[in-house]
Amino acid sequence: MQLAVPDGRVTMRSLELPINRANPEVMHIDLNSCFATVEQQARPLLRGKPIGVTNRLTKNACVVAASYEAKAKGVKVGMTFSDAKLLAPDLIMLETDPPKYHYVYQILVDIMRSYSPNIVMKSIDEGIINFEGTSMINQRPLEEIGYEIKHRLKKEVGCWMTCNIGIATNRFLAKTAASLHKPDGLDVIDHRNLRPVLSKLELTDLSGIAERNQARLNACGIYTPLQFLDAPVDLLRRQVFKSICGKDWYKRLRGWEVDDWQSSIKIVGRQYVLDDMKPSDELLRSRLAYLCETTAMKLRYKGLCARGIYIYLVYDSGDSWYERRMFKSTFFSNGEVHRRATLLFNRRPHHDWVRLIAVSCYKLAPSNMNQVSLLEEVNREVWLTQAMDEINHQYGEFTITYASSLDAKSTVKQKIPFGSTRYFELLLNRA
Amino acid sequence: MENVVKINKEVSIVAYYFKQGIKRLRCYPKKMEWSGKTIIFSEQGLRHPTKKGQRMIHVFDMTDGNTDYRLEFDAEQLTWTLVYVADQAYGPLKDEFQATHLNAVQGAS
Repeated sequence: MQLAVPDGRVTMRSLELPINRANPEVMHIDLNSCFATVEQQARPLLRGKPIGVTNRLTKNACVVAASYEAKAKGVKVGMTFSDAKLLAPDLIMLETDPPKYHYVYQILVDIMRSYSPNIVMKSIDEGIINFEGTSMINQRPLEEIGYEIKHRLKKEVGCWMTCNIGIATNRFLAKTAASLHKPDGLDVIDHRNLRPVLSKLELTDLSGIAERNQARLNACGIYTPLQFLDAPVDLLRRQVFKSICGKDWYKRLRGWEVDDWQSSIKIVGRQYVLDDMKPSDELLRSRLAYLCETTAMKLRYKGLCARGIYIYLVYDSGDSWYERRMFKSTFFSNGEVHRRATLLFNRRPHHDWVRLIAVSCYKLAPSNMNQVSLLEEVNREVWLTQAMDEINHQYGEFTITYASSLDAKSTVKQKIPFGSTRYFELLLNRA
Repeated sequence: MENVVKINKEVSIVAYYFKQGIKRLRCYPKKMEWSGKTIIFSEQGLRHPTKKGQRMIHVFDMTDGNTDYRLEFDAEQLTWTLVYVADQAYGPLKDEFQATHLNAVQGAS
């Protein structure tokens, strides 16, 4: 096969790395329309009905999960409630209920751990089991284990729960396999069926390839996943992706593992889109206080302290403004995050109404809360924070809180964390 | 009809039933007495634990086939609270969506 490159040169296909012919030992499990399915499991009268789950029951809130009945009517995740209602007038919208999803998440983790110690949760509703090295314990074929997991999920959570399972030699192909037959599918991709499977897919069906990457590939004469598979590593690295990503894609498509790394936390923060179209200064400061408080809680939950703080505002006109500052000393307490954020916040332009506030802490380091300081006021701050955290843990979050952010507690709702599940336990305490 | 009607009242659960879970026998409410009415639950939706501070609360989503109910059992105070009734407009529960039917279909496949 020959591939044309933009400058007119033609490169021969070079298969430097063969397709991975090992036994598939990576299993990807994905709960189908997780939040919507869990709601239908909890409320049987909603079964078979188009439902959408949202964080706030307002017309501009977006659908974070839609049931298969709603998806059949064209409702997609990310649509606003009002748009979804136009497509499916009988759509039933529900507000998210994190403890329910956490329960299902824990059950899924327990089930997965019973097969292998090497599991990774990619998000609330999907995870990966690596069966490598467990052949002495799991002597059955992985397909059989896959069907058993489906059965256990139904038995332990409820009869309405379904999941998609994909089995392959690496995480990427396992995820691709899990998306082949939705809902409730189970597919295996290995060296024998890799080409037939890819021949039935579009480029954007591949996880990680959206419009921009598709355009990059198209620009180099790659229009199908099969052409992508056959593309030489140099073409992908030097011309398509112009980075190491090209080499990663080359390996990924051939079934070699490149995604088994974990990123460290570089930034901790929160953001909030204001519900009031013309927010007063008092309201803004209340929301800011709340965001600072929850950001500091996140820091302490992860045992971190920060040196840098960053404030980002988006105005009604679409303009944005940000300011960041590094400090000599580290900080982790609610009061310190708030004090430093306020210093930056006071410097904001006042030309328009603020629509979004974001607070982030960076330059993170392991917390030094356990280190007794020579300075008395530092020790006092640590002890006060520890006492406050202890009381809040015992009696529920925000039992002791700042009066300035009191108003925000009833308005700002804790969102479901997409992607990472790093703060899930913390979120649940607040939910 | 309103999809969810909040009640938040203490209720009496006068009968229970047990179901074999994966690790142990699980207890579910069967009959509830609330404002002079007796409601018999036909199916459980989801049971999940949650916390209010350090207090353990068990949440039961139940249905009688015509309405969905959310009950909370406070494991410290040993009290039952009816949190809300919901989905009265969408009943009765069709046979094809009942747990007995779904389990039978799954067993057959």
